[in-house]
Amino acid sequence: MFAKEWRSEIRTRYALNTLALFAVNTLVVVSASLGPLGAAPGRSSETLPVLLWLILLFAAAAGLPRSFVHEEETQTATALRLAATPSALFCGKLAYALTLLAALEALVAPLFLAVMNLDVARPGLLIATLAAGGFGLAAGSTLVAAIIAQARGKGTLFAVLSFPVLLPLLLLAVELTRSAFAGGGPPGQGGQGGQGEAGVALMQLLLYDGAVTTAGLMLFPVVWNP
Amino acid sequence: MPPALSFAQVRRRFGRLAVLGGVSASVAAGEVLLVTGRNGSGKSTLLRCLAGLLAPDSGTIDYSEDGTPLDAASRRRRVGLVAPDLAFYGELTAAENLAFFSRLRGIGRERGDELLRRLELPPDRPASALSSGMRQRLRWAWALLHRPRLLLLDEPFQNLDAAGVAIVRRLLVEHLAPSPAAGADAGAPGLAVVANPVPLEIGSVAGNLDLGA
Repeated sequence: MFAKEWRSEIRTRYALNTLALFAVNTLVVVSASLGPLGAAPGRSSETLPVLLWLILLFAAAAGLPRSFVHEEETQTATALRLAATPSALFCGKLAYALTLLAALEALVAPLFLAVMNLDVARPGLLIATLAAGGFGLAAGSTLVAAIIAQARGKGTLFAVLSFPVLLPLLLLAVELTRSAFAGGGPPGQGGQGGQGEAGVALMQLLLYDGAVTTAGLMLFPVVWNP
Repeated sequence: MPPALSFAQVRRRFGRLAVLGGVSASVAAGEVLLVTGRNGSGKSTLLRCLAGLLAPDSGTIDYSEDGTPLDAASRRRRVGLVAPDLAFYGELTAAENLAFFSRLRGIGRERGDELLRRLELPPDRPASALSSGMRQRLRWAWALLHRPRLLLLDEPFQNLDAAGVAIVRRLLVEHLAPSPAAGADAGAPGLAVVANPVPLEIGSVAGNLDLGA
């Protein structure tokens, strides 16, 4: 499934183009208005992590739901339902979403740091946050995409359903990114906390990833099959 | 034990529209059940229920292979379905589509290559570039890929030319009564449910279920 998804993607370049174009366009708008020339230095570590995750969230929302929606729209879903086990299908789609999001992060994060002229106090924490946050974003988006694939008004439904699923992830990821930019622990959990608090927040993020993936594996057969 | 399919009082509604109003029939190995009826009479809905793609509102569907009853989820992965709304990945070639589904089903790609050859399909042509008749042949290849015992055929000769009809009729005959010359590779006799607006001259017909208007 994973290999097929990438083979199709390389031939059509739909999701890659959508994600990259959306992310780069947003990045240009943000950097032009809040970049090193426009943002007050004290405000940058507070506001910029939010913008980074908003860029990643909206780019993911623009491209990831397509993986299941496209199967329904092109009527290939029937052949998949008859040939694949739901768990294999979910794992394949999740692996594809993960690698797509990792590629997006590899493009967006260095660009973001460069155009915002940001110094990262704890690069290891930033990489871990991007990895764990990206995993959660991919797992949550894949699950919601599977739920909405057979419904009408897919775009609206994705926004409505993904909000409660992805909100905890985004809050944690933003706090950890702030901590990585500024140094110290997450400001939201006791001000400028230490490395221990960042470790706790990172653990919470990993637990979220595990919970969403497990929920996806358990719920997917129900939402995918009649 | 040979496979056997029976269903009783199968009902299915879509909202307020009753599509299937309690249909019953049975079919044994080596036989074909013909389902006829006008457009909109519920033929495709019945086949989707039998395939496990739609849950009936009421009624029972009993299908067993080797004496083991199979539920809807197991049935779904065992049946072979040819249907007009069955589509494949347009950006992949015919051979790549079959290779992909072979991997999903855990079988080697030789079977796909054999079916491509027998159905005279161009292996390297993208599925999106196939004519409607060639797409129907690809549906047949896909349906027979895993050597299913139960074939569900919804308008199976749609868009096929005379040569295509002759090829798939031969494949259907082999499915219903495998040649002893093929040895162990032939497998046991299968069964088929064929839905078509008008009756067809086809195999050993177990019965004709006319869904009418």
